[in-house]
Amino acid sequence: MTVIELTGVERTFDSQPPVRALREVNLTVRRGEHLSIVGPSGSGKSTLLNTLGLLDRSTAGSYRLDGVETTGLGDRERTALRGSRIGFVFQAFHLLPYRTVDENVMLAEAYRRPRPGRGRGSRLARAREALERVGLGHRSGFRPDRLSGGERQRVAIARALISDPALLLCDEPTGNLDSENTLSVLELFDDLCAQGMTLVLITHDEAVSRRAGLRVRITDGSLALETS
Amino acid sequence: MKRAAKPVREARGERPWMDPRDLWTEALAGVLARPVRSALTTLGTVLGITTLVITIGVATTAGNQIVGRFDALTATSVTVTVPAAPPGGDTGPLVGWSGTDAVRRLAGVESAAALADSAATDAVQVRSNDVKAPGDTSGQSLAVVAASADLATAVRGTVTAGRFYDAGDVARHSQVAVLGDQAAQLLGIHRVEDAPAVFFRGQSYTVIGILGGIQREQRLSTAVMLPPTTAADRLGLRDVTRVLVNTVLGAAKQVARQAPIALAPGHEDALTVLAPVDLSKARSGVQNDVNGLFLVLGLVSLVVGAIGIANVTLVTVMERVGEIGLRRALGASRRQVAGQFLLESTTIGLLGGIVGAALGIAVVVCVAAVKEWTPVLDLRLALGAPLAGALVGLVAGLYPSLRAARMEPVDALRAPS
Repeated sequence: MTVIELTGVERTFDSQPPVRALREVNLTVRRGEHLSIVGPSGSGKSTLLNTLGLLDRSTAGSYRLDGVETTGLGDRERTALRGSRIGFVFQAFHLLPYRTVDENVMLAEAYRRPRPGRGRGSRLARAREALERVGLGHRSGFRPDRLSGGERQRVAIARALISDPALLLCDEPTGNLDSENTLSVLELFDDLCAQGMTLVLITHDEAVSRRAGLRVRITDGSLALETS
Repeated sequence: MKRAAKPVREARGERPWMDPRDLWTEALAGVLARPVRSALTTLGTVLGITTLVITIGVATTAGNQIVGRFDALTATSVTVTVPAAPPGGDTGPLVGWSGTDAVRRLAGVESAAALADSAATDAVQVRSNDVKAPGDTSGQSLAVVAASADLATAVRGTVTAGRFYDAGDVARHSQVAVLGDQAAQLLGIHRVEDAPAVFFRGQSYTVIGILGGIQREQRLSTAVMLPPTTAADRLGLRDVTRVLVNTVLGAAKQVARQAPIALAPGHEDALTVLAPVDLSKARSGVQNDVNGLFLVLGLVSLVVGAIGIANVTLVTVMERVGEIGLRRALGASRRQVAGQFLLESTTIGLLGGIVGAALGIAVVVCVAAVKEWTPVLDLRLALGAPLAGALVGLVAGLYPSLRAARMEPVDALRAPS
């Protein structure tokens, strides 16, 4: 079962002169795979991530996410699909400072239709469960500003996990972390992969990239598979 | 192709969705995240709503108070003034002494009495027979009037001593008089058992009663009242000049219209009727006077409050760009993002409205307490004021919410959260 299927995806920005950020990108990620996309800044990493995360539209080509063709979808459908299929982990964590970690994790479910057995009533219990899963059960009730950077990123991962996404999309997840915290987050990613989570990780850090089962290098908008 | 069609249709069915309780939770958390700022933001609305509630509340209370002064007495009193008959006319007096009988038959009339006075009898030298010092014969200058026998009830007075003259005295042209209580005091007459007499215009009259507690035509308390027949014989006081009518509550307007016709059929236009003013008109008149200026003030404050909310909400939106990006990434539609900020500004407006209404009502009650008035509060005002505040917040939040909704998630996510 493929989770991501990019076929001939192009993204051109209408500037003077036009910038071809993605050129003829073809990419397939199957369920349970751990893929890292590595490249220097300005290589089109962010554009690829935004395209994969349905935050941006491709100029040409086709993108099927979890079996759904997204190319012709309108804004509302893309938004709904994004909310239900993709869990985001950002470099800047993007936690709401005025909410507890539990509330931050629960926020991921506010914008999606409750699925059977995953109603509003059991949301807090599931948020705690997700926090346990990232090893932060003891931080329940804390506000993000009392946590270390690594802990904050793990809260963000828990927020991505609670909705049981088809794809975990991580944008430089260790970019703001020291080496110790980086290690703990990467170990968490290994655990999640072992549990069958599909993980796409965008980074410029070769050390981070090397832990992935599948590595792709992006240069000037073109992808090339790397072999170890 | 066929394989692809099904999932696509499935995706088209997907719509962003949000439980209203979640929307409310998010908005409330947004408001409470910066409690001091939210509190300060409500100030404009608080001021505006307070001013409006005080204005309307005090006007209603004061209006009620002024109307309250039109008590039952005023509301049921009708006075008909009869002009003097044209000299040399052969038509006779416009209103006869028996005219009050016709008035008394009108529906809603409780009592009626006729009075006759004239400029000539307005200040008559009256003295009692109790002359102590020789030479001191000046007596008192009192009004002498002729009045029908049922005057006591018509002026709502009480006979404090003796009795009022009756129909028999009138028929017999008895030479008797009733004194108003102050006139009696001035003349030194306190009891009538020993049949005191008063003297004026060279005639003597036996005082048979004293009338006190006069509530209408209070000048009668310093007057000497004579039976109409006696007054006509001895003073030439023949023509009825005033008719006092008392009605049941609510009948005054009707009686005021009918009484002149009953008194002087065919000449009703010649009579002047004094009837109580329309109460509802008096009330709204007072309110209109008070309201105008302060209503404008309150509305101006509300507009200022709305601008304040709009400003702060816009700043809040700009500070929370990262949060907006996150919410969009988590699956929030533009509409849901706009809805949250709109609900936040509406909540701030509603809070301002509630606080303003409470403050305003407190002030109205205090003003009423100081003035010893009865506070009158319109329930629609008490409930409508918070709603007005919410409406102000809603309108103020429109533009900032639109700005929040228009943000592209990609750009918004670049901002720190």
